[in-house]
Amino acid sequence: MDAVLIFQSLISGIMMGMVYALLGVGFSLTWGVMHVIHISHGAFGLLGAYAAYSLLQYFGVDPIASAAMSVPLLFLMACGLYQLLIRPITRAKNIIMASMILTFGLAIILENIMALIWKADPRVLTPAYSSGALIVGPFYFQYPHLVGFGLSLVGITALYLFLKKTYTGMAVRAAWQQPEAARLYGVNLFQISMITFALAVSTAGAGGICLALLNSFEPHSHNLWLIYLFLVVIVGGVGNVIGTALAGLIIGVITGLSMAFLPFQWVNLVTFGLLMVFLIFRPHGIFKQEGL
Amino acid sequence: MLSVENLTVCYGQMKALRSVSIEISAGQMVALIGANGSGKTTLLNAISGLVPIEEGRIIWEDQSLNGFPPDKLCRKGIIQVPEGRKLFPSMTVEENLIMGAYHPNVRKKAQESLQKVFSSFPRLADRRRQFAGSLSGGEQQMVAMGRALMAKPRLLMLDEPSLGLSPKAAAEIFEIIRELNKEGITILLVSQEVMQTLAITTYGYVLENGVLVLQGDCKQLQEDPKVKTSYLGM
Repeated sequence: MDAVLIFQSLISGIMMGMVYALLGVGFSLTWGVMHVIHISHGAFGLLGAYAAYSLLQYFGVDPIASAAMSVPLLFLMACGLYQLLIRPITRAKNIIMASMILTFGLAIILENIMALIWKADPRVLTPAYSSGALIVGPFYFQYPHLVGFGLSLVGITALYLFLKKTYTGMAVRAAWQQPEAARLYGVNLFQISMITFALAVSTAGAGGICLALLNSFEPHSHNLWLIYLFLVVIVGGVGNVIGTALAGLIIGVITGLSMAFLPFQWVNLVTFGLLMVFLIFRPHGIFKQEGL
Repeated sequence: MLSVENLTVCYGQMKALRSVSIEISAGQMVALIGANGSGKTTLLNAISGLVPIEEGRIIWEDQSLNGFPPDKLCRKGIIQVPEGRKLFPSMTVEENLIMGAYHPNVRKKAQESLQKVFSSFPRLADRRRQFAGSLSGGEQQMVAMGRALMAKPRLLMLDEPSLGLSPKAAAEIFEIIRELNKEGITILLVSQEVMQTLAITTYGYVLENGVLVLQGDCKQLQEDPKVKTSYLGM
């Protein structure tokens, strides 16, 4: 096999994987901390992508700036959504099931709204530098891919530092690991759940923009993204941020390599065959110790 | 300091506590004993605000605490070390301790409190970067108590602090509890180690099936024939 081709697809896989990781960590946190399986997580990512598309198309706003703007906006929107929809269902007996049904409906609503506004045609984010590429020896990196990768890396690092270094971030982890003790020492679970949910949705938005820099997207793309989200979280371990990030990279590399060497129709088979293997042999993820 | 008046707590149809009244004054060290399922943990959780109160009142320094959520209650200095320790297993020892100083009244002094806890429990200082879940039972109990101290307790409620520990580690924990009381922290101690508990506390309450059946000075309780047969096996 061609060493250059292997290396090139390895690098693309890592770039792709970093974006999966950014999309995945929020999904993992809402699942772990709140026991909410947020089916519309990918749809919010897609909303970010479409917003960035329109901002670029009509106002010439660069996707990097759009990502920076979408984070606080989605954060506020998600706080409202939490109070309105998510908080009431946390009283349900089976939160996981109730949350899946509710957010599945939400995903369909979002998908239809996006189809109404942006039509069903596939879109691509084409910033001014979209045709440029960084060429290093025999390797070739398109600028939009580098930007998507870089943004994801920044997003994950920021989220990691927030969870590791701030009181609120530590409270998020404490609430996930031992909610009762967290309450006894002053953590307001509703407040922490709202912050977790809002952070997840806003990182989904940023992740969606990053993914849009790498791939084309259409209103129902979030369904495929969602399956990748499940894959990343199951491989990395629910609620495990570092695990999720590493799982994103691993899955990115596997899909990257299989795209290079297998016929196109086999790629998803390999990826989701992997998901099944994991569910059978390591349902708790690859990592023994929960990191972070 | 704290008085619980005619407290009734229900889990669904079942009454876990029936009209229980206890009184704790500042600086005291009070024991709460009883068999498994007698309602000891429920009483602590009701005082901490974790379980809703059906009837009765909880009064803290002339203020009713009914309906306060736990995250507000701990600001008053009512701190519980829960049964089974309930540490944050995938957080380091240091992070567990820092979480003890989460509530805003004590957060500013967190670093200072941390140094104090490390000097009282030097073993925790050595293990500060280790995951709490990887420690031995005795060390975990120290983390749980250190975490409580970070919250600057005025009333410290300990639920089975010696459960699952070796006799040596248990004795160490009881010694620490006595020290804390000497430093001025009021203590409510729940334990099945009836003999050891009554030896270090001054006043005791005995719960049976959610009802308070006996109370008195610990010296009297130790001599009580009912306590002797039910809890001391004599």
